[in-house]
Amino acid sequence: MFKKLITPLEKLKAPFNLYIIVFWLLMVLGVWFAATSGQKHLIPSPAQVFKGFSDLFAEGLVTHVGSSLALCFQSVLYSIIVSLIVVYLSPLPLLKPLAAMISKFRYLPLTGITYYFTVFFQTARGMQIAVLVVFMSTFFITSLLSVIKDIPNEEFDHARTLKCSRWETLWEVIVKGRLDYVFDVLRQNLAIVWMMIVTVESILVAEGGLGVLIKNNDKFMNHGKIFALQIVILILGLLIDVFLNFCRKSLFRYSKF
Amino acid sequence: MPYSIKDTILYVENLSVAYDGKVIIKDINFTEKDIHREDVVTGQVIAILGRSGRGKSTLFKALTGLVKPTSGQVLIRDIKNSTETDIKAKMVEEGDVGFVDQKYTLFRNKTILQALKFALRTSNLSEAEKQSKIETYIKEWGLEKVKNQYPNELSGGQRQRTAVIEQIFSSGNYMIMDEPFSGLDVGNVEDVKRSIHKIGEDHTLNTVIFSTHDIELAVSLADSIYVIGYPTINGKLENYGTIVGHFDLKAMHIAWQKFGASHLQLVEQIKTLMLNS
Repeated sequence: MFKKLITPLEKLKAPFNLYIIVFWLLMVLGVWFAATSGQKHLIPSPAQVFKGFSDLFAEGLVTHVGSSLALCFQSVLYSIIVSLIVVYLSPLPLLKPLAAMISKFRYLPLTGITYYFTVFFQTARGMQIAVLVVFMSTFFITSLLSVIKDIPNEEFDHARTLKCSRWETLWEVIVKGRLDYVFDVLRQNLAIVWMMIVTVESILVAEGGLGVLIKNNDKFMNHGKIFALQIVILILGLLIDVFLNFCRKSLFRYSKF
Repeated sequence: MPYSIKDTILYVENLSVAYDGKVIIKDINFTEKDIHREDVVTGQVIAILGRSGRGKSTLFKALTGLVKPTSGQVLIRDIKNSTETDIKAKMVEEGDVGFVDQKYTLFRNKTILQALKFALRTSNLSEAEKQSKIETYIKEWGLEKVKNQYPNELSGGQRQRTAVIEQIFSSGNYMIMDEPFSGLDVGNVEDVKRSIHKIGEDHTLNTVIFSTHDIELAVSLADSIYVIGYPTINGKLENYGTIVGHFDLKAMHIAWQKFGASHLQLVEQIKTLMLNS
């Protein structure tokens, strides 16, 4: 059995795969307990993290999570609308270079540009959303452009042989034909969104959110709380990931990737 | 088997296609006419044979209007504006000629029913007539049980039949099939053969053009075979595709016949021609 476990491309029966996951979870927990059992330890102990959780609840963790989720939802909504408009118009020769150029902006750093957003936006929330929409759009556009690029030519030819005009071809093959991919692009890029949300919230603390909590606790070296917050962010991210995947598969029966 | 030749249904003149200056096919000329047989509705079945890279797919794209020729023209019968006594021709445009590619491409987000409805969207039929037409075809082509399924839930044969009906609904009498037998098992090959026969039996003007690497299959199915290959000019093998041979199986009295010795002889002849081009 052990030989099978270390043989490349070996397929194990269903329960064994589950046992391996449980084994690794126990290993991680075991190492965590062991590494934090002494007087001095680099990372917080499970007890400290547990205490961190209860302290965070007392400090209004749920409200902060709600604030971060609201920010995430608003920004993703605006961002995906902007990105879809840019990407769906990218097959137009006139706009193709524009979409490609916006995609390249993802290499720009956030610092230094936020000043211009403060000039245009009066409220902290408005600025946070604007920063997120602009930066997230560059990632969404990159992924969505790649989805379009991967559409086989046969699909466009098929639409054309069915007397579709060019606009109809765009609508049927790119817009309707790849709607399920939008959910997948969202899912794949959500990790970046969460990373940015924490950064953006910590720039402008007035509106609260998980980023603010992390920043405040970081100042006081409260690692138990920071770890607890990281776990909250990880779980939230994973739940959104699962939810989007569920939505894609439920809404689009043909979407089997 | 007695037959008569009527009016021209497909006229290809000096057809050339080049991509970015590279000539793929050049000077392609052929004419196909409407064939009539007594008491049998007979469409035209034309096979295009040739080795890989000789420009068969490019020729098909030009015949369907998906690619604009660099020079020359493709004329088909203008069915809407023709009468029995006054036959008019028109330059082929996108959508005039049905095209079923090797992968039987369909809309991935449409069920068979939705796809067929979409194919009929420009038709002048009433909604009830469209529905009835769809139901008739679905039944006749054995797709009743899977009519609400998406392409990725269908077998190769079911996809192929859906793609063919879709094109019949949208394009009318002309149908091109690019390597329809490629990668199919023996059952699906029979399915495709039946589809081709069925299209021919539906209307005398129906014309199926297909390509295949299976010469025997082409000889057993087609009534006219064109071989596309590199021509030899002044002793030098050129590197663009053109028609290097045409075999009219009707004139040879072997069309619509059981496969026999004469067919085998033709297979050998075509094989030699292909190897030399």
